[in-house]
Amino acid sequence: MYDLGILLQIIFWGLYAGCIYILLATGLNLIFGVMKIVNFAHGEFLMIGAYITATVFLITGFNPYVLILVSMLALIGIGAVVERLCFRPILGTSKLNEIFLSIGLIYIFTNGAAMIWGDEWQSIKSPYSGITVPIGSLNVPLDYIIIIITTAAILCGLYLFLRKTKTGLEMRATSQNRKGAMLVGINVERMDILSFGIGCALAAAAGTLWVVSGQVFNPYMGSIPAVKAFAIIILGGLGSIPGAIIGGLIYGIAENGAAYFLGGVWKDAISFIILIIVLVLRPTGLFGESGE
Amino acid sequence: MKHAVLFIVIMLIAAFFAGCTQPAQAPAQPKEIKIGAIVSMTGPNSNIGKNMWQSATLATEEINANGGIFVKQYNAKIPIKLVQGDDESTREGGQKAVTKLITDDKVDILVGGYASGVTSAYEQTIAEFKVPYVVTGASSPIITHRTDIDTSYVFHHCPTTDAYGMYTTNFINQVIRPAVNKKFNFPADRPFRLALLYQDTGFGQGVKTAVNDTITKNNLNIQLVSQQSFKMGESDFRTALTTIKAANPDAVYLAAAPNEGAQIIPQARRDVGLNTIFLSVENNDAPEYYKGIGQYGDYSILESRFSPYISPKGVLEEPQNAFKNKYFAKWGAYPDMMGASTYEGTYIAAKAIENAGTLNKADTRQALSVLKMPEIIEHMKDDTISFSKDYRECQFDLWMEQLYYNATIGETRPTIVWPDIIKTTDFALPDWYKPGSA
Repeated sequence: MYDLGILLQIIFWGLYAGCIYILLATGLNLIFGVMKIVNFAHGEFLMIGAYITATVFLITGFNPYVLILVSMLALIGIGAVVERLCFRPILGTSKLNEIFLSIGLIYIFTNGAAMIWGDEWQSIKSPYSGITVPIGSLNVPLDYIIIIITTAAILCGLYLFLRKTKTGLEMRATSQNRKGAMLVGINVERMDILSFGIGCALAAAAGTLWVVSGQVFNPYMGSIPAVKAFAIIILGGLGSIPGAIIGGLIYGIAENGAAYFLGGVWKDAISFIILIIVLVLRPTGLFGESGE
Repeated sequence: MKHAVLFIVIMLIAAFFAGCTQPAQAPAQPKEIKIGAIVSMTGPNSNIGKNMWQSATLATEEINANGGIFVKQYNAKIPIKLVQGDDESTREGGQKAVTKLITDDKVDILVGGYASGVTSAYEQTIAEFKVPYVVTGASSPIITHRTDIDTSYVFHHCPTTDAYGMYTTNFINQVIRPAVNKKFNFPADRPFRLALLYQDTGFGQGVKTAVNDTITKNNLNIQLVSQQSFKMGESDFRTALTTIKAANPDAVYLAAAPNEGAQIIPQARRDVGLNTIFLSVENNDAPEYYKGIGQYGDYSILESRFSPYISPKGVLEEPQNAFKNKYFAKWGAYPDMMGASTYEGTYIAAKAIENAGTLNKADTRQALSVLKMPEIIEHMKDDTISFSKDYRECQFDLWMEQLYYNATIGETRPTIVWPDIIKTTDFALPDWYKPGSA
């Protein structure tokens, strides 16, 4: 009834979309895991990352995939400043403070980006645009293969950092038990600033991959991906990085599957239908633990 | 003494009659006539909104350079003050902007409006305050056809989606279908396989309805093999395009905004391998669209009524070029078709006030309803700008462009391929074109 080749192609588009979601949601989850804060402005870090990559690419002509490092480093710095000036003073106060602070940051970042770069939509072209690679019955654009590999490499790097380095272990310890971490001498404020910076860097990586795939961007681009990233971390389990990865993949594939089987207007709705079903069956999310 | 009393009485009587014959005090002449421009200066539609605002500004400067609008009531020319209302590309923003323009700025007439969803959201306010409004950007016919509110103060100076769908479908039937049949030796009665990819809004659904109606009404040999929708602001169209590719179309008609259309064609040709003819609605004839589609727009078709890069030969060629050059000199970029209709809309507003001879809004509305003025820079039916009696719509003449890639500038540029009377080249099918199959 359905052509296998078409289904494979749709799964592939879902994998690509999932990569952007995974990076964004993983960053959000890292921040939530360590600091337990809700940052609705996370999508704006994706937007800033996209603009930084595009701007440096247009000025220098460097390979935009290399510029992912520039964008990530810049966002580590920006994230650290935002954490220090905005979130740290209200840490531990009402959740409402976090929510309204982050909503305020959305306006500040959006308007700031519009002032600096203008609010017209823009796009850039990857040097590999137009190159396709035959994989079985599929003819896959090289850019999407690079995007999937880059995402996998970043996640492996994050895994190694969290599992194999002292700082990573301290960050995980802070995530698991903040008071306990303080008692054993871990500088939790340093962990806060570091996790916020890394989370923002992951958003910057997502923004970079967004622009190199040829999709248009403007200062308002961050809001919808941020909402989806929140849905993904709730689906996967708050604070769970594997949950964010699996959740991102599920969302990417489900969205594209819904667009194929049900029509384009169901693309966004299906993600939230899945979220509701998972929460009804397992309120802590796929990989979440009770109490988180 | 007697003479003195008589003198005083005569003076008093004279003064009384002098007072009675004093001419009535004329109403104070306003310093300026306020035209409110409802435009999307921020948000996703800001590219188009800025173009509309800058075009209205240019028209205002031109009118003011001649002293402004002559208003008979004051027997004087009064300069225009153009007041901006940023709808923020949202329904709520539009509501705020219109309310402020009407109640705070107290504008005499309104022009602009982009995106049918946004525009229709604040029409209730227009109806409530009865301010004449020349809509120059929202294309859904519902803007003036709706019956739930009074739209008698709204005048539509922009082709509607009915016109979009009708022109493009007729072009497909008259030009593309015979060309495909000829090139591939198909029988003349072979149904042409058309796919639709449309924005799931009043605009996109309006185009879809118009295409279906045109096919049915004229009994055209066109088969709609796939009709896919997407949400406004979508950026990933690959799955919809994969579905369309599976339907084996001969051509794909896109009812999308420029920021969407500029992504659809590259994703279709580069990512999905859909090597067919793409046709886009006229609102895409904007510099950003050409920039976005790049080389993938080669041989694609664009419906148009005003192009930044080509002007049809004829009486409007010079005025169009003059407008483009003036716009470029002032703003450093070329105008798009929404800018063109807003430029005209400002002139229409000025003419309506002049014809009314007063700033009374009901009189201005009446002047708009009977307006007849020569076309300015866009081709109109009967070469005249006037609003239909039933739904207060202007009738435009559209044409079809075929885009060719220019490697030197890295973008496509248009040639006019239809109708025959103004075409600069014939429609051509590229070597890489693959027709559909059942």
